[in-house]
Amino acid sequence: MPEELQKIAKKIRITTFTAISEAGGGHFGGSLSIAEILSVLYFKVMRIDPDKPEDENRDHFILSKGHGGPALYTAMALRGYFPVSELKDLDKPLTRFPKHIDRLKLKGIEASTGPLGQGLSIACGMAISLKQLSRDNYVYILLGDGECDSGQVWEAAMTAAKYNLDNIIAIIDRNNCQIDGNCDEVMPTAPLAEKFSSFGWNVLQANGHDTTSLLTALDTAKRTKGKPSVIVAATVKGYGVSFMENRYEWHSGKISPEQYKIALADLEEKG
Amino acid sequence: MKSELAQVKEVYGKTLVEAGDRNKDIFVVEADLMKASGSAPFKEKFPDRHINVGVAEQNLVGVAAGIAATGRIPFACTMANFMAKRACDQVAMSVAYNKFNVKLVGCYAGLTQEKNGGTHVSIIDLAVMRALPNMKVVAPADCVEFAQAVMAVSQDVAPTYLRMAKLLPESIFEKDYQFEIGKEHEIGKGKDLTLVSTGLATSIALEALPELARENIDARLVHLPTLKPVDREIIVNSAKNTGAIITIEDHSIHGGLGGLVAEIVTSEYPVLVRRLGLNDTFGLTANLGFQLEYFGLTVENIISTAKQMIKNK
Repeated sequence: MPEELQKIAKKIRITTFTAISEAGGGHFGGSLSIAEILSVLYFKVMRIDPDKPEDENRDHFILSKGHGGPALYTAMALRGYFPVSELKDLDKPLTRFPKHIDRLKLKGIEASTGPLGQGLSIACGMAISLKQLSRDNYVYILLGDGECDSGQVWEAAMTAAKYNLDNIIAIIDRNNCQIDGNCDEVMPTAPLAEKFSSFGWNVLQANGHDTTSLLTALDTAKRTKGKPSVIVAATVKGYGVSFMENRYEWHSGKISPEQYKIALADLEEKG
Repeated sequence: MKSELAQVKEVYGKTLVEAGDRNKDIFVVEADLMKASGSAPFKEKFPDRHINVGVAEQNLVGVAAGIAATGRIPFACTMANFMAKRACDQVAMSVAYNKFNVKLVGCYAGLTQEKNGGTHVSIIDLAVMRALPNMKVVAPADCVEFAQAVMAVSQDVAPTYLRMAKLLPESIFEKDYQFEIGKEHEIGKGKDLTLVSTGLATSIALEALPELARENIDARLVHLPTLKPVDREIIVNSAKNTGAIITIEDHSIHGGLGGLVAEIVTSEYPVLVRRLGLNDTFGLTANLGFQLEYFGLTVENIISTAKQMIKNK
């Protein structure tokens, strides 16, 4: 299964890369870094049914780093929420697929996000409500590491611990890049694991590009009761594209036809 | 202002319990201001539906959005000033943009902050909330209407801002008056002038009506408990029938009720509009009576403004 998930991740990455390129550019870096995480969640871990995106028994997923929308759309399309061919509408006027996800436009998106730092509070509210109903749905949330600069993330982190929200599993896309530079330079959030731990969370580490590592961490998170879990997933921004990897400049951008060819070859070989 | 004023928080707490009894989906979310909002009775009765996130207004709004995302009905309360400013982006994005069914309650609204002073007086909450797409805006004038509004918004499905003054008169309307979202309340059919008011200011406008009559000014009053979606027709008809409008609000005259009325009449039936309220200034530290006098929210100022307008008609 992990090998299969690895292949799906590669497909998510190539399809996402192509969709962003055809849309005239966009948030390559942070979309390429989350392919394995989405693969594992959408194709193995989450209890979801693409034909019933509003089923009350579903697990919820919040993409708090809303600019990762293209990768999420690809994962959803491959999972069967809608045809992959519709990804050509990414960022088109009046599209169902704006780069920053919009729940009112596309069934299966749980919360519209874009301005960073707001997702974890929404996850807390969902988890509180589900717990009060004694339901066993999980709330999964994917945050960016740059996003953790935002104070609201820590307000929500305290809330999740206070209310023992063990039905929240957060994953941090720890690629150490943000718009203006490396996270360590722009605003050092390290040590993230220790911070969350001191906030009362169960903290796990994983290789964010290794589906086996992610599955193990997610399994441990699900078995941890009484406190919320966070998986700090070590990732590479722009993963799979030689000239984008670990380059904060590729948070978003446009590529030339030559770069497009190189990138696709890179992704086929490695990604 | 002659009306006896009551603590609105007692009405809020009691009504929430009633609503929570009827509907098990109602939640209350607080940010360490339960003492101001008055939701303690709800906490006592439904502890598992009462959430307190501490001094964290942005998180307050986000948590409420998440509760609403699961189909439940959260009432999130903090001081109006913090709701509209500190948590503005969360209100806009996590609630309005997502169209989550959150009830945002801004307590100690307007000049009723009294001695907490300019840092706390909410002078732009109506302007901010009114400008947000998908957001309904309600500002009741007395305790009876406030209780009806709490119940009405709990049964309505829409992001809603409910302005909650700390103090309001017990009851200023006829016994059979019933609040409905989007239904404005017209009192009298005066032909010379229209007073348009909302929230706390309506009791002042109501007191002004007989005084204006004594001055031979035949005025009508339009109380707007719902600023959005507003009944535009009632404002346009007032403009047509009286040719002059005074707006009265314990809020900035920019963007709130005065702004709303001016927008409507300038585009549909231009007449002279005078706006009474705070003119490009913050609130101050003083009791309510002093502030109402200081900012000209008095029967006397309404009369002198009216006389001037009639003279220039």
